[in-house]
Amino acid sequence: MPPETAARPADVVCLTGVHHRFGRQQVLKGIDLTVRRGECVVLYGSNGSGKSTLLALLSTRYALRQGSYLLDGLDTTRHGDEARDRLVFVGHHTHLYGHLTPVENLRFFADLRTLSPSEARLREAVAEVGLARVADKPSRWFSAGMRKRLALARMLLANPSLLLLDEPYSALDAQGVAWLNAMLIRFQENGGAVVMASHDPERVAALRHLPHHLDRGILTPAPPPPRIEEPPSC
Amino acid sequence: MLKAAYRIAWKDVAGDFRRRATLSSMLFFAISVLVVFQAAFEPDRKEALRLLPGLLWATTLFTTLVGLGRVFQAEEEDGAFEGLLLASVPRGVIFFGKWLGNLLLTLLVELMILPLTMVLFNVDVWRQTGEILGILVLGTVGLTGLGTLLAAMTQGARSRETLLALLLLPLTAPLLIAGVQAMAGILTGGEVTPWIRLLVIFDVIYLALTPWAFGWLVEE
Repeated sequence: MPPETAARPADVVCLTGVHHRFGRQQVLKGIDLTVRRGECVVLYGSNGSGKSTLLALLSTRYALRQGSYLLDGLDTTRHGDEARDRLVFVGHHTHLYGHLTPVENLRFFADLRTLSPSEARLREAVAEVGLARVADKPSRWFSAGMRKRLALARMLLANPSLLLLDEPYSALDAQGVAWLNAMLIRFQENGGAVVMASHDPERVAALRHLPHHLDRGILTPAPPPPRIEEPPSC
Repeated sequence: MLKAAYRIAWKDVAGDFRRRATLSSMLFFAISVLVVFQAAFEPDRKEALRLLPGLLWATTLFTTLVGLGRVFQAEEEDGAFEGLLLASVPRGVIFFGKWLGNLLLTLLVELMILPLTMVLFNVDVWRQTGEILGILVLGTVGLTGLGTLLAAMTQGARSRETLLALLLLPLTAPLLIAGVQAMAGILTGGEVTPWIRLLVIFDVIYLALTPWAFGWLVEE
């Protein structure tokens, strides 16, 4: 899925010696993380362990104060705008505007990047996430699950190298979870890298992934669990 | 880059037309201020001509404050501001988009209140409408430029409207004085050029510094 895969380095994320603090509180302590093309890293950890902070750093929303972060070989400290063009972040908030329709929301997202999708492509992306029937309705009245689907449609549009997800299964029903996992598997197969924070190992189990534990700001890899095939959705 | 700024402005203006939120509040507020001034002073034609620059600028200032109080309101919805900051455009472009949207709404209100002021105060300055509008545009560019930055700064504050007014009034005082003097010059045949020059200087300073300051402000 991501274009120019061959021209880009194998490591999508290369995070070295990253520390982060809020005031006096040290939230991340010497994080080293490498994510290669097609890999999915899942961050587990209790509340306040630093998962969301790590995702915010990976999204470049938080400035890096100590350590280095290369995304697709780009130094994110110096090339933040270019780096942001290569990732999509879907967190607790969907970053959608309620007064805009799904098509308009996606058009707005595309215009703030180096994307120029046609109207047909925008509608196709909306249809792919199962929202074709409400493509021209303001998204204000959408359910949380519909909003999440629409937020994920950005991934289909942008073809990013890196997809960052914070609790992606929240607000999704069983069918939505199966749909999301199928989409993520396809994304991985096409060379995309995923980093997600989750409290839900059962739902993640359908993905080929590398679990990592984050405890009081320290990241440690855990042995990969056996992959569980999800039953096909009806 | 320009497409991104235009798109942010379009989103704000289109959103406002759909929700009928900021524009109607600004217009209603402007009309109320003008009616109160008219009732309080009851000026004759000559007196009204003398008061007109101050009245127009006071109304513009108050109206701008109403608009600025809401300039980042849409961005509070579902973490939209964070989404904006994740865009692959420089922070300055985001600022320009927000500023442009606010500027367009404010100018629209000014376009509507100018004829209303003339009718309400019974002053015949229709021939100078172009020049008056020009001065208003020059002043509004700087006023909304600095105002957008201050609105971003006070976005998270509990009493942000009060804070915004407290910060904006002293910082834009030179701009407002230049605007009033330039307009008075047009209406009474006095000096105009030095005041216009001052307005342009303030506009350039504000618009050169504010995008940079915005980028610094939103960095975490």
